[in-house]
Amino acid sequence: MNIQEYISSGIVESYVLGLADEAERVEFEQMCTLHAEVRTARDVFELSLEQHAIAAAVAPPNHLREAVLQQLAAEPASGINGGAPVVQMSSARRSGIPMAMRYVAAAAIILLVSSAGLNLYYFNKYREFSQRYDQLLAQQTDLVKNNSSLQTKLSTYEHTIEGLTSPYMAKIQMDGSSVPANGSPAPASLATVLWDTRSKDVYLMVNNLPQPEAGKQYQLWAIVDNQPVDAGMLDMAKGPVMVKMKNIPRAQLFAITLEQHGGSPTPKGPMYVLGKV
Amino acid sequence: MSLLRNRDNKAYAYLYDHYASALNSIILQIVNDAELANDVLQEVFVNIWRRIEQYDAGKGRLFTWMLNIARNASIDTLRSKSYQNSRKNQSIQDNVDTIQVTDVLQPGIDTIGLRKVLEKLKEEQRILIELAYFKGYTHEEIAELEKIPLGTVKTRIRNALIQLRGLLK
Repeated sequence: MNIQEYISSGIVESYVLGLADEAERVEFEQMCTLHAEVRTARDVFELSLEQHAIAAAVAPPNHLREAVLQQLAAEPASGINGGAPVVQMSSARRSGIPMAMRYVAAAAIILLVSSAGLNLYYFNKYREFSQRYDQLLAQQTDLVKNNSSLQTKLSTYEHTIEGLTSPYMAKIQMDGSSVPANGSPAPASLATVLWDTRSKDVYLMVNNLPQPEAGKQYQLWAIVDNQPVDAGMLDMAKGPVMVKMKNIPRAQLFAITLEQHGGSPTPKGPMYVLGKV
Repeated sequence: MSLLRNRDNKAYAYLYDHYASALNSIILQIVNDAELANDVLQEVFVNIWRRIEQYDAGKGRLFTWMLNIARNASIDTLRSKSYQNSRKNQSIQDNVDTIQVTDVLQPGIDTIGLRKVLEKLKEEQRILIELAYFKGYTHEEIAELEKIPLGTVKTRIRNALIQLRGLLK
């Protein structure tokens, strides 16, 4: 092909103005590397186009310059190519998690925290009530114990009153003044034997006896035909109530002596009270 | 050039000071809306900044490269705008070629830059350059639009361009 014909075919202008198609562009670029004339023709047209454009320039508004330069300053500085806008888009998104999911996650966290707070609150409440329950349980056990001991005491008193008022109960009063010979170590001592005339059961009620010293215990004797018969040991802790002793079918006298703890087969210690049937 | 490749802010300020007005002119000739042209100009400088590595000095002058970026950005803007407009009013689409021709002939922007030069061309040549250069239609699209053979479109455009070269000198 004649180079001059090629140059004047309008391809130069078509290429420079961006109107040439792909095949024409490739061909023209080849021709430029091969032929200096084509290159020169291109340079000449480009220059005239540039000069014409500058001559026909229309200035944009002044504020635009600052806006453009600021936007460029905000652009990432390196590693930019044609794909840059895509990079910016994806970085602007930051994370692929949709907004709705973020709200759900935030709500879940808030629920979790408040649930943990409620758990702590109710746990403390539970501990408090558990303690109170234990206290109440202990109080209740005490009350039941007190109640049963009171019941026992009451029934004992009832029994005593019954014994004292019963027409079948023989009442034998023993006192310190009745004790012969050397006399009672405590003359003011007083005790009462209640003897069921039908069953022959013997009950004792201590009215006044000094506390025995350690290792000693009072013992009740029935004197039958001048022979002392063991009628049982006294429990001083019970107080002035009727305490059941042994069954004595027959007796003329009742007496109390202070013996070794556990009692003796025959009286050895001093006599405190004596009473006739 | 190396300053531009290193994204030197002063180099881009220089580029703006020397070429913004010329590029603004070509953008205005295509979009025909001063406010829209400002947006496009801003976009053009961002594109120059981002794509500066793609510029090959062996294939032409920097201004030519920038001019083509400006032209393509303007045509893209125009197309997205006219696409939106046509969605607003379907009836326009039915008379698309009529509209294009009236667009071509609208006054106001004919008085600046290349358009002023184009006035010296014959009517039939001027419409083809208008459609090809300012509207970005391919030769095939123009052939269909103007109902003339593709070969005739190519010949007329080439002839118009040869004349244009003479007019620009």
